[in-house]
Amino acid sequence: MTAILEVRDLNKHYPVGRKGLFGKRMMQVLRDVSLTVHPGEVLGLVGESGSGKSTIGKAVLRLIDSDSAAMTFGGHDLTALGPEDLRRLRKDMQIIFQDPYASLDPRKTIRAVLSEALDTHRLHTGAAREGRLTELLDMVGLNPAFLDRRPHEFSGGQRQRIGIARALAVEPKFIVCDEAVSALDVSIQAQVLNLLADLRVSHGISLLFISHDLSVVRFISDRVMVLYLGRVMEVGPADAVHFHPQHPYTAALVSAEPSLKHAPHRIRLEGEIPSPLSPPSGCVFRSRCPYALPACADSVPPLRPAGDNRLKACIRDDIL
Amino acid sequence: MTAIPASRFRAPAIPRRMILPGVLLAALIVIPFAAPLITEANPIQISVRERLAPPSWEHWLGQDEFGRDRLARVLHGGQVSLMVAFLSTTLACLVGTLFGLIGAYFRGPFQFLTTRLSDVVLCFPPILLALLVVTLFGPGTVTLVAVLSILYFPAFSRIAFSEALRVSALDFVEASRALGTPSRRIVFGTILPNIAGPVSVQYSLTAAAAITIESGLSFLGLGVVPPAPSWGQMIRGARQFMNQDPLGILIPCVALTLTIYAINFFCDRLRDTLDPKGNGGGKDTTSQPTSDGQGGGAAGDVVAEVRNLRLDIPRPGQPVPVIEDVSLTLRANQCTALVGESGSGKSLSALALMGLLPGAIRQSAGTLTLRRKSGEMVDMGRLTPKQLEDVRGNDVAMIFQEPMTSLNPVHKVGAQMVEAILAHRPMPKAEARAQAIRLLTLVGINEAERRFNGYPHEMSGGMRQRVMIAMALTCEPRLLIADEPTTALDVTIQAEIIELLQKLRTDYADGLSLLFISHNLGVVAEIADRVAVMYSGQVVEEGPAKQILTDPHHPYTRALLESMPSSHEEAHSTRGDRLQAVEGTPPLPGRRPSGCTFRDRCPIALASCALDRPPLFGGSDRHVRCFRAPEATQEAA
Repeated sequence: MTAILEVRDLNKHYPVGRKGLFGKRMMQVLRDVSLTVHPGEVLGLVGESGSGKSTIGKAVLRLIDSDSAAMTFGGHDLTALGPEDLRRLRKDMQIIFQDPYASLDPRKTIRAVLSEALDTHRLHTGAAREGRLTELLDMVGLNPAFLDRRPHEFSGGQRQRIGIARALAVEPKFIVCDEAVSALDVSIQAQVLNLLADLRVSHGISLLFISHDLSVVRFISDRVMVLYLGRVMEVGPADAVHFHPQHPYTAALVSAEPSLKHAPHRIRLEGEIPSPLSPPSGCVFRSRCPYALPACADSVPPLRPAGDNRLKACIRDDIL
Repeated sequence: MTAIPASRFRAPAIPRRMILPGVLLAALIVIPFAAPLITEANPIQISVRERLAPPSWEHWLGQDEFGRDRLARVLHGGQVSLMVAFLSTTLACLVGTLFGLIGAYFRGPFQFLTTRLSDVVLCFPPILLALLVVTLFGPGTVTLVAVLSILYFPAFSRIAFSEALRVSALDFVEASRALGTPSRRIVFGTILPNIAGPVSVQYSLTAAAAITIESGLSFLGLGVVPPAPSWGQMIRGARQFMNQDPLGILIPCVALTLTIYAINFFCDRLRDTLDPKGNGGGKDTTSQPTSDGQGGGAAGDVVAEVRNLRLDIPRPGQPVPVIEDVSLTLRANQCTALVGESGSGKSLSALALMGLLPGAIRQSAGTLTLRRKSGEMVDMGRLTPKQLEDVRGNDVAMIFQEPMTSLNPVHKVGAQMVEAILAHRPMPKAEARAQAIRLLTLVGINEAERRFNGYPHEMSGGMRQRVMIAMALTCEPRLLIADEPTTALDVTIQAEIIELLQKLRTDYADGLSLLFISHNLGVVAEIADRVAVMYSGQVVEEGPAKQILTDPHHPYTRALLESMPSSHEEAHSTRGDRLQAVEGTPPLPGRRPSGCTFRDRCPIALASCALDRPPLFGGSDRHVRCFRAPEATQEAA
């Protein structure tokens, strides 16, 4: 199966402040991130704040520019596309945001929000428009009578559905869900997760599902990628990574998750997440890793195979 | 699923609140241009014999120092003043907004051009710039318009720039970009409407200022060329005869004031009307409060007790009940978790217990008893502000979700702590400092001495929350209220903070009672001894944490637990599994259904559930507000 999205060695720096007279201090938020999303697949991205997971989402949509990467989307070289070609390709890749309050223009009716998407790509024009708008609201479980209302008349969960309808309007093949259910209450979160799960089945859409909530990611994703300080720690099938983590950071993350069935033992991480301005040498996790060896400081551990379809960036095999 | 039926659509007709300012402004603009209809007098016809004549039938406002008709002059002068002001403001607004928008959206060289160009113009003192241009090109209406537009364009460009920068960073603009919407459409269709509010306010201020500057320049003889009338010219002429004829100077001044007032009034209302959120607010429906108290005296270890709390938003007619019936008993050395979704009223209940209710909300029933360290029982709802100040911090303290916003960023952490300590307990500064460092160590901050001298921004979110906890503990309160203290933190940090709160509860000398507010049942399972589940302003289930979380009796509690992905470890979306989601959304206060508030979403509701609000059923240890719960059927039997 050919991948719909393929990213090789994604790097991203942000300039922060100045160093000397002309130099700029650079903060590296992503380092050599490679990922593949297959058609109809859900790839989960987990990590704590500062891990760079949202940056990946925006970089693969070219909403921000990356420093160096080879990115192909549906056979097109994403990094080489001109503005006009990119605009056309945007029909196939969409994004759903975290904050249901900031992601809708308060001045536009739902009709205007959805029409903007359709107008831009000249879809369902003329008489077909009304039917399509109704269909879209139907798809996300909203009453089509809401078309002429404005966002402030809706609850957070309903707004999130509108955001999903906007993304679906252009019939994308791939959607980035950037913490798409994190701001919702649990009962509403379950509704939206079910909706996303249904849509991937009915429309075969691939998702890049970004979240800090491990159990949500495990439920929705086929594969999970764990990030720490802009680097990939571990990749593998969702259930396997969640229940049998191979990387000490994943293990700590899973054990820290509050659960109804009390966690048997919690792996305590020492200290705070280091600043991305001065990450530790070698393995970036070593400063907090309970299993770190002196050798961990020497070189960056490569992502290497660790059993069925899994990769990990840890030099030790004798733990976990 | 129904939308919140908040507002009716804005009628195509003009909103009522725009009528008065609209009519006023229209009148002030139309009247000067209707001058020929009002008076036939020629504004520049001199009649020296009638100079400074008082008002008469022929000349309603009298005649000026050259015997010209004042009414005609003030009207014709208004034409010039208004035209100059509006033309120049409009020109400045168009150019400035365009510059600002383009600079903010495209950044790079456009940003440089926008900001620097404005800076250059702003470098000149405005009057000096005006004088310079007028001297170069000679006085006249066209010069005036040009000068004023140049003078005012930076204000628009700056406002549009900063506002557009803010709006560009919002998700919906990003969404438009992701859709591939052309830049032109994003800038003018999405960003522009969203910055219209501040720009229109700026327009009103500028138009008003332009009228004054025009008058000022004409007064100096640099604006409109005499004998053509303008308000500035009139003031200039009348000034010399102020003592003999005060009316002469009064007329143009009143005209000026009225016009400026009308413009400001209009723009203020316009901004309110343009805001789509300004039209909200629905009609309230009646809801019957239930009042049933559970018995139980205040035993020795009870630190605080909330009984039958009811909070209303006062509205003409029927008050909206935000909290209908909340009772909680908080004991020493115990952690009670208040669980619920947003809008359930959990935070409000806690704020009421702190005596920190927002002004718009009124306590209409119930008691909020707190046992002070002295053993005295006080009702937080009935204390004076002065007494409350003494109780807060001393006997009860609170920590919040956002530790960054709770700490003052410009003061050192230590200074803020010392201040908090000294506010309640006068002691030597050195002692307070030692106490603060001891507390920082207690909450697990490494190098407490160094952190004491640091600023909040130098700390991570987890550390700031530790500082907040330390500050809350300064006076060793008996009750600590924690409102979603870990929601903004990463999971690993969250785990540490929970561990800390656990430790404090067991180690704390006096036996701290903890009221832990959260929407996260996983966190609650780890920390709470007792759980109270809130739904739509009521406690619907309450009891020992283990029992409630493993064997919920209320369908809402059950739904909450089942909708969590972590309670279905075997389920996966790829296998076609679904989470058991409860349909619909919680009702708004004032729109709650009759009978049980959960019934329209409840999978086991009966027709009879619509009749009465269920009371809390159950014995001393566990209560549930459901007609179909085991407790209710037992009581019926």
